[in-house]
Amino acid sequence: MRVVAGVYEGPSAHGILRVAASLKDVWVIFRASAHEEYFQVLWGPWARYEGRAPVSLSPAGGGAEDLEKDILEAVRRYPEVGAVIVARSDSALLSGEEVPEVRLPAREDRPRRLFRCPWQKPGLGEHEAADLMLAELVREYAVPQEKTPEPSVNLFGAPVLDPRAEAEMDELQRLLAGLGVGVNARVPLGASLEDLRNLPRAWANVVLYREAGESATRFLKERFGMPRITTPMIGSAGTGAALRAVGEACSTSEERVRRLVFRELAQTAKLPWYARLLSPRTLRGKKVAIFGDFTYAVGLGYALSREVGAKIAWSGTYLSHLEHDFSFHAGTFTEKTFVAEEPGEVTLRVERTRPDLLIATHFEREAAERSGASFLPLCPPAAVHPFVRLPLMGYRGAALLADAVDGALRRTRSPSPAAPEEPVWTGEALAALEEVPAFLRGRARRLAEERARELGEHRITREILEDSRF
Amino acid sequence: MTILDEAGTPDVLSPLCGLRSLSEELSDVLIVLVGTRSEVHLSRLLPGALTADYSPGERVRFILLDPETKVRQGSVASGVAEAADGLRGIAAVFVVCGRPARQLGVDAAFEARLAERRLGVPVRAVGLEPEGSRILSTDLEDRALAALVDLCPAATGEIAPTPPPKGRTGRLFGGLFGTGRPERPGREQSRRVVLLGAGSPPGAWQELASELDRLGVEVAGGLPGLGAASLPALGEGVVVAACSPYLPTAVRAAAERGALVVRSLLPIGIGGTSRFLQDVASAAGLDVKWAGGPHPTWEELEPLRSRIRGKRIFFAGDTGLELPLARFLADAGAVIVEVGVPRLDRRVLSAEIQALGGEVDVVEAPDPEGQMERIESSRPDIVVASPGLHVPLAARGWLCCQSTELMQLGVYGYRGARRVLEFLCSTLDRAEDLDSIKL
Repeated sequence: MRVVAGVYEGPSAHGILRVAASLKDVWVIFRASAHEEYFQVLWGPWARYEGRAPVSLSPAGGGAEDLEKDILEAVRRYPEVGAVIVARSDSALLSGEEVPEVRLPAREDRPRRLFRCPWQKPGLGEHEAADLMLAELVREYAVPQEKTPEPSVNLFGAPVLDPRAEAEMDELQRLLAGLGVGVNARVPLGASLEDLRNLPRAWANVVLYREAGESATRFLKERFGMPRITTPMIGSAGTGAALRAVGEACSTSEERVRRLVFRELAQTAKLPWYARLLSPRTLRGKKVAIFGDFTYAVGLGYALSREVGAKIAWSGTYLSHLEHDFSFHAGTFTEKTFVAEEPGEVTLRVERTRPDLLIATHFEREAAERSGASFLPLCPPAAVHPFVRLPLMGYRGAALLADAVDGALRRTRSPSPAAPEEPVWTGEALAALEEVPAFLRGRARRLAEERARELGEHRITREILEDSRF
Repeated sequence: MTILDEAGTPDVLSPLCGLRSLSEELSDVLIVLVGTRSEVHLSRLLPGALTADYSPGERVRFILLDPETKVRQGSVASGVAEAADGLRGIAAVFVVCGRPARQLGVDAAFEARLAERRLGVPVRAVGLEPEGSRILSTDLEDRALAALVDLCPAATGEIAPTPPPKGRTGRLFGGLFGTGRPERPGREQSRRVVLLGAGSPPGAWQELASELDRLGVEVAGGLPGLGAASLPALGEGVVVAACSPYLPTAVRAAAERGALVVRSLLPIGIGGTSRFLQDVASAAGLDVKWAGGPHPTWEELEPLRSRIRGKRIFFAGDTGLELPLARFLADAGAVIVEVGVPRLDRRVLSAEIQALGGEVDVVEAPDPEGQMERIESSRPDIVVASPGLHVPLAARGWLCCQSTELMQLGVYGYRGARRVLEFLCSTLDRAEDLDSIKL
C-alpha cells in the first residue's frame, strides 16, 4: 500500500482491451463493476475511430451463468466475430471470479474461439498483460506456412490508444518498400485473425514496440525459427541498424541497404545534420534526463547521447518487469538508471537534479515547469492524441526529433554568471526532509529554499524547513 | 407515455470521473481515493481525456492498494495522514473506497475514525457502491454530500423571524439582485433553507439561492456550498431542497437529522424552477402568490425558443437529469424523440414523468447499440450524447452535443434555462455554418 500521485500503467484488463480492440473480428467481454469501465469513453477522444470499441461490459458479481449468457449474447449479436476474449477487472479478480468454459457456436468458415485469460492475476500490469494476450493469440492462430516468395516481414507495434502506433508502422513500411521487403502483417493494430494465422509466412519479425510484442515474437522464433529484429528504431543510427538487420534476415544485398540509408540520411533524416550544426556550446554543461517506458526511453537515450552528443544525467522506466534489460541498455548511455512506478518519485528526482531538458511522460510536465527544465513529453503514456499522427521512429521520426530537441534546447536555461549560489542544507534539515512523504518532498524542499531566500539565509536549517511548510 | 426498461448497459461515466470536480466544489476538503490500480488509473486518465486537463486536482490523493496482500488495520489511516501532511487549510478529509478496497480488508469507517484522531480534522468514509445494480456518475457526489450532511452543525430548531422586505436585508444575497416578481408572503416566521446538490459548476447553487432570496426565503447555504468550513446548520426547522433526483443517501441523511426534505419538480427550465421555488418557499412557511400568466422569462427567451421550436431532440441518457431537461425543452417547443435515463426512480421522478406529458418514450438503462439504431431510424435534429456515443454518432453524421458539456454550463434556475437554450441554439447555428462551407 502506497500513497501515490497516480500510476503510469493501467491494470491488466486495460492491456488486454488495448490488444483485443486493435484486432479485427474480435470481441471483448469486460467483466467488471460498472465504475471500473472507461475504455469506451477513452476510445472516442483518443482513438477517434468512427465506430464504438468492440467491448461490452458484463457486470462483475453476476455469477458464471450470467457471464456465459453475456458471452453467447455477444456472439449472437456480432456474428462476424471469430474470437471472444474475456478480460477481468481488478474487482472481478479480487472476487475470485473464474471464466467458465463456453462452447461458442461455430462460424460457417471456421470455429470461434474463446480466450479466458487464465493467466490474469491481481497485480499484473497493463504492458505485461498486453504482451501475454498477444502471445496467446499468436500461439493459438499461427500455423506453419510456406514463406512468401518475395521477402516480407511482420511488424509488431504498439496497440490501439498509442497516438503514434499507426504512423510508425507506416514509416517503417515506407522504408521497407525501399529495400524491396513487403509487409506480411501489421500486428496488433488492424490485424485480422487470418493475418495472425499467416504470420509464419514472413521471413522475419520486426519488433517496434517490445512492450507488447516480446513474447509473441519469441514464440514465433522458437516455433517457426523466425528471426527477430529488436533494435529500437529511434534516431538515424537505430533506424539504420534495424534496416541492416532486416536486410540480413531478408537476404537483401548490403549495397541496396546502404543506398537506402544514404538516400534517407540525405533527404529525410535531419537528426545527424542537426547534430553537425549544433554548436558544442549549446550542449556544454546541459543535463538531459529521460523517463518513460522501455522502447522510447532506451531509443531516445541512444539517439540523444550518441547522435546529438548530449549528456544523459539519468534515465528511468516505470516498467519494473523489464528492469534488468532496461538497466543493461540504458547503462550504455548513462550512469544512473532506475525504476519508479509512481510519478511522485520521478518528480522528486527532477526537482533534486534539475535537468536542463527532461524527456518523459505527460505526468512530468508540472515537475519540469517547477524546476525550470525544458520538457518534451515523448514517452508513453501520452496525453496528446492529435489528428495528424506523426512517427518518432524511422527517418521521419529522426527529423521530428531533431526539431523537437532543437526547440527544447533553445528554451533551456542559459547559465548566468550571476546565478545565485545554491543553498546549503544542514544534516539535520536533510534528515527532517527525509521524513516528509516522497511525493511531497520536492515541494517541501522548494518551499524551504524559498523561505531561506526570503530570510536572506544561505544555510537551510531544520527550523527553516519547519517554518516553510506551515 | 411508454416507459421501457431495456436492461442494457448504459453509457455512463464512472463516478470516479467526478473525483476532481468534487474536489473543485469542496475546496477545503482533501479527497483520498483508496483503491486498486484500475481505480487510480481511471481517476487520473478519464477527466483528462474529456477535458484535456490531466492534473489530478490540488487536493486529491491516491492510496494504491497492493492486490496481493490484505491491508493491515490502521495502515490506510497512516496513508491518509501521510497524504494530508504539509497541506494547509484542510477542513475535512473524505476517504473514498470502492468494493475492491473492501475486498482487500479495508474497513473504511474504522480507518476514517483513526485518521481523524491523528489529523484533528473530521475524516469521513465515502463509499462508491451504488444503491441498486445500476451506477450513475452522481453516486460519488451522493455519498460525499451525505458525509457533508453529517458534518453540518446542528440547527437549534428555532424558526427564524420573517426577514424584512427585499433590498433592505443584510443577508447573503440581500440587495444584490433587485426586486422579486412574486408578491411577498404574509407569514410571520419562516424556516431556513439548505440547497442540496446543484454543485456543478461550483457556485451554481448560488443562483437558485438568489431566486429564493428574492421571494424572501432565507437560504442558510448549499451543499456542497462554500466548503466544509462554512457548512450551514441542519436539523429540525430547516428545509432541505434536493436539486438532483439521484441523491438518495444524502437526502436520507438530511431527513435523519430532522430536516424537512422537499421534493418538487427539479429547478431546471422555467416551469420547473418556478414550481421548485414555490414549493420550497411554501415548505419554508412563506405563502408566495405568483402573478398569473406565463413567467416573464419566457418572453425574454422567445428568440431562442423560436430557434429551437419543432426541433427533434434525442437524449442518449447518462447524467440522470434527462427527464427535467426534456420537460423544459418540450415546454420550449422542441419535439422530444426519446429520453434515455440510466436509472429511473419512479417515486422521486413521478412529478417529472407527469410533467413530461404522454407523447414521449422513456427508456431506462438503454442499450447503446440499440439506441444508435433508433437514432438512425428516428432521425433527430440533435442528439444529447453520452461521452461514449459522441464520436460514433458524429461520425455517422448526427448533430451531437455532449451531455457532460451541458452539465458544466450550470442547468439550474432561470439563468440555467437560458444557458441550455443558448447552448443548443449555438450547436444548431454552428452546424449550419459548417454545412454552408464548400469543401
